[in-house]
Amino acid sequence: MIISKSRRATLGALMATACLALAGGAAQAQDKDIVIGGSIPMSGVFAFAGLGIHDGIQDYVKIVNDAGGIDGRKLRYVPEDTGYKVDASVAAFKKITSQNEVNLYYGDSTGFAKTINSELDRMGTILMAGASFASEINDPEKFPHQFLVGPDYTEMFGILLRYIADEKPGAKVAFVYSDTEFGRDPIESSRELAKSLGLSVSGEIMTPPGSVDVSTEVIKLRRAAPDYTIFHGYVLAPIPEFIIQGRKMGMKSHWMGTFWTMDNSMVMKMGEAAEGFMGVMPFRYYYETEGDVPMLEKIREMRPEYQSTAYTQGFLTTMLFTEAVKRTLAAGKELNGDNLKAALNSIENFDTGGIIGVPISIKGNSIPVGRIYRADLEQQKMLPASDWISLDQ
Amino acid sequence: MNFDWLFLFEISLAGIGTGGLYALTGLCFVLIYKATRVVNLAIGEMLMIGAYVFFAFAAGMALPIWLAILGAVIAGGLLGALVERTMIRPMLGESPISVFMVTVGLASILVGLVELVWGANPQRLPEFLPDDPVMIGEAFIASKVFYGFLVAALLVAAVLLIFRFWRGGIALRATASDQAAAYSMGINVPRVFSLSWTFAGALAAVAGIVVGAIGGISPVMGVFGLSVLVVVIFGGLDSVLGALIGGLFIGLVEAWASAYLGGEYELLVTFILLVLILMVRPYGLFGTAEIERL
Amino acid sequence: MRIGTAPQTYAADQALFDTRTQWTWLALLGLLLVAFPFLVNEYWLYMACLVAINVASATGLNILTGYTGLVSLGQAAFMGMGAYTVAALEARFGTPALLNLVAAGVVAMAGGAIVGIPSLRVKGLYLAIATIAASFIAHFVFANWTAVTGGTAGLSVPPARFFGVALDTSFRIYWLILPLTVLMVAGAANLFRTRIGRAFIAIRDRDISADVLGIPLLRYKLLSFGLSSFYAGVAGGLWAYFFRVVTPESFPLLMSIFFLAAIIVGGMGTILGSILGAIFMTLVPELLKFVVDWLPFENATVALSPVRTMVFGALIVGFLIFEPHGLAEIWRRIRRFFHLYPFRT
Repeated sequence: MIISKSRRATLGALMATACLALAGGAAQAQDKDIVIGGSIPMSGVFAFAGLGIHDGIQDYVKIVNDAGGIDGRKLRYVPEDTGYKVDASVAAFKKITSQNEVNLYYGDSTGFAKTINSELDRMGTILMAGASFASEINDPEKFPHQFLVGPDYTEMFGILLRYIADEKPGAKVAFVYSDTEFGRDPIESSRELAKSLGLSVSGEIMTPPGSVDVSTEVIKLRRAAPDYTIFHGYVLAPIPEFIIQGRKMGMKSHWMGTFWTMDNSMVMKMGEAAEGFMGVMPFRYYYETEGDVPMLEKIREMRPEYQSTAYTQGFLTTMLFTEAVKRTLAAGKELNGDNLKAALNSIENFDTGGIIGVPISIKGNSIPVGRIYRADLEQQKMLPASDWISLDQ
Repeated sequence: MNFDWLFLFEISLAGIGTGGLYALTGLCFVLIYKATRVVNLAIGEMLMIGAYVFFAFAAGMALPIWLAILGAVIAGGLLGALVERTMIRPMLGESPISVFMVTVGLASILVGLVELVWGANPQRLPEFLPDDPVMIGEAFIASKVFYGFLVAALLVAAVLLIFRFWRGGIALRATASDQAAAYSMGINVPRVFSLSWTFAGALAAVAGIVVGAIGGISPVMGVFGLSVLVVVIFGGLDSVLGALIGGLFIGLVEAWASAYLGGEYELLVTFILLVLILMVRPYGLFGTAEIERL
Repeated sequence: MRIGTAPQTYAADQALFDTRTQWTWLALLGLLLVAFPFLVNEYWLYMACLVAINVASATGLNILTGYTGLVSLGQAAFMGMGAYTVAALEARFGTPALLNLVAAGVVAMAGGAIVGIPSLRVKGLYLAIATIAASFIAHFVFANWTAVTGGTAGLSVPPARFFGVALDTSFRIYWLILPLTVLMVAGAANLFRTRIGRAFIAIRDRDISADVLGIPLLRYKLLSFGLSSFYAGVAGGLWAYFFRVVTPESFPLLMSIFFLAAIIVGGMGTILGSILGAIFMTLVPELLKFVVDWLPFENATVALSPVRTMVFGALIVGFLIFEPHGLAEIWRRIRRFFHLYPFRT
């Protein structure tokens, strides 16, 4: 049987229509729910953080919804896995925003935050936070619809350097950082800050990403003979190598790190090298009990096992999102990027339920608060080593 | 000029230490190329599998260290044999570029596998090398680097001897220089192929354990293989001695670049060196020159 | 069933599309492409733009690797050169979008010609390794020439302006990306009807014979590199206008491997191959996501990224072993079936 030309044409047209129908049929009905979209790195190199953040957001959404939502409207969390790749994050953003009316968004990286910024401004409907603490984003003019849930990397260095200047005036400091945007972010401004605090930067060592052997860098570090060494731009490797080799070669430095190296489980993975490891952390750890910590107790009720600092970050982000929405709705304003950001900036002396040890205000794009913690190997915990330091005071 | 000789000496020692690892990995690469003429870009990933299997045995199942090493070596060998049978054998006779791309695909598969089974987090291997830094005169060397170098040197020496004196080694060299002649001499060429891949896989496992002991393991540790590419181009794709000398040389150069120019120049210098070698002497120091000029 | 087409002139023989049916299908495709943005949502528009950019770049790579036989793992670096050119020009001079794109192509072309110089000395695998080296050197320049490239923080790109309209949504920029891509693909298809194209094919098949036949090898090899990187540069420029941020991490070696995989899977040495390969490789990760969403396992999403990596590798290996001529060959077989029906061969 020969299929005639006209039949073939009809068949073709039918198939084309079917394809179009499939592709175009993704429109969704609008809801009264308040949607939190998320590009979350649930797999890939940042997965440990992504999974924690995912759980943190989910838990706080549950707390809010169990209490009846905000003004009767429930929160709905719509995440997508991105594998910590910028184009996957952007694709996820497009997908979620095309299928839902999104007012709040959690982004997985500095790269994504920068890429999506102009789109956020154009859309004007979303307030965004994320896993990035990049100093560049801490600029309310350039990034009017985004904020950081904690101090930016330069502020973190600031807290560390102030602590060092208090402990040992005129000390020698060395920076060890990775050759990535993440790593290089705070170095230049911190160099200046160190000088202004009377500290001398005796060494700046940059390691190529993915380098296996850091013996050469350790030798350089030993030459610099710092009193304090600050690591930045890493999650775990090569910090233990530096510490072990450095100690064995007789270095007397104190070892410090920034947010993403400070999770308890990560630090304890260092083994012996972890003893005395210090760093700045804007949040209390999961297991802390001193002080007024109702939120921590609630978290411990919901999750009996240890939750990472990434979890806390996601949890707190959602708390701040909720507060911004509450204030906007209470003022009778519409939920869009500008109003939500203004509501966020109106937050003053806000009690986070113990997650951050002092009441916080969000004047700009970051929360420049933190305190120094030190690793205690015997208890396998990070314990506080200073008071809460707030940089806007 | 107050030149810090001690610093230079220490840096050079560290460089030679890394160079030993490069030489060992280069050795695995050369083994495969010599016998089967395949440029195996997945060599870094084969190292990674060896390190992870060791991790699984030593940390996961808490086996004694020597048993874990043995297990990893056997696993590495099996992997090599499996890859050869399923991916390289069917590509016999295809253009070298196609086979090269197959190894690129293999690298992706191995990375995905490791990420699936063990997760994407970097891990540390259980400590099994002696801890105290080694002193040569006044210069420190990190202990791991020193012992890693020892292991690498021993293995390279062993392989050189095997190729010289053992029948299997001679069979390998024969197959490498002329497959048809080897066949007609009664050498079981397919078995030589399998043998070379198995052997290379086992060696890669050992290299992986050492590299993992020094820098930790993660699904992205395979990028080590790219530096090794420079090593074997420098030394000659089919020369064991070249891999040794090339490894030491590149290790030194990288250490000097990192120390005197800064960490970001390390890879740059290596790759500029690669381009220079390709322009000046593409077959490397000791490689056999294939007569085909333009 | 299609009975023989009997061309009577040389031009007719060389024609890209010769039967009425082909032209009809082509017109339908054109209509579909024009109607597409009005029918689908933001997400699919985004994917379409991404696919178009990848098609352009893959076509360029196919010119170099599929038609001339020079394997290159530097395609991402050339795209990066194009993207940075567009970003730098927009930041400093605010020149019109089309001019920037052409400049991007030219800068990448220059880069390509430089990288092609070793092709005089080395071939095959060694050339591929030289392009890997070029890729790293380019990455170094992107990350450290801070004055022009903004260092590791990169540059942000304002949206392309076309007659005063800012192309800032996927819907709008579709109208810039798609016509350019169609133009480039058509250009490449026509390239292989000219003597330059035939010279490339001759070089791939046996370069010494080509030299004997009087084809100046260095000139044509450099031309091939230049053309292919021109395509990459324009694709990179479009990428910059689309993503609006350019950083050194945007163009890793993995991207070059992605493009090489795309043309292998699609079919080296055919224009259709670049198109099919780019579409396939860009959409497979998204397809995987749908499959994973549909699976009943609780933690399936966590497994997504490693599974994606494995599938990527498996596709490369699978196509190389079982279907070395790629999707284009599969397509040809299907077409042949319809053409010859009810006969089998």
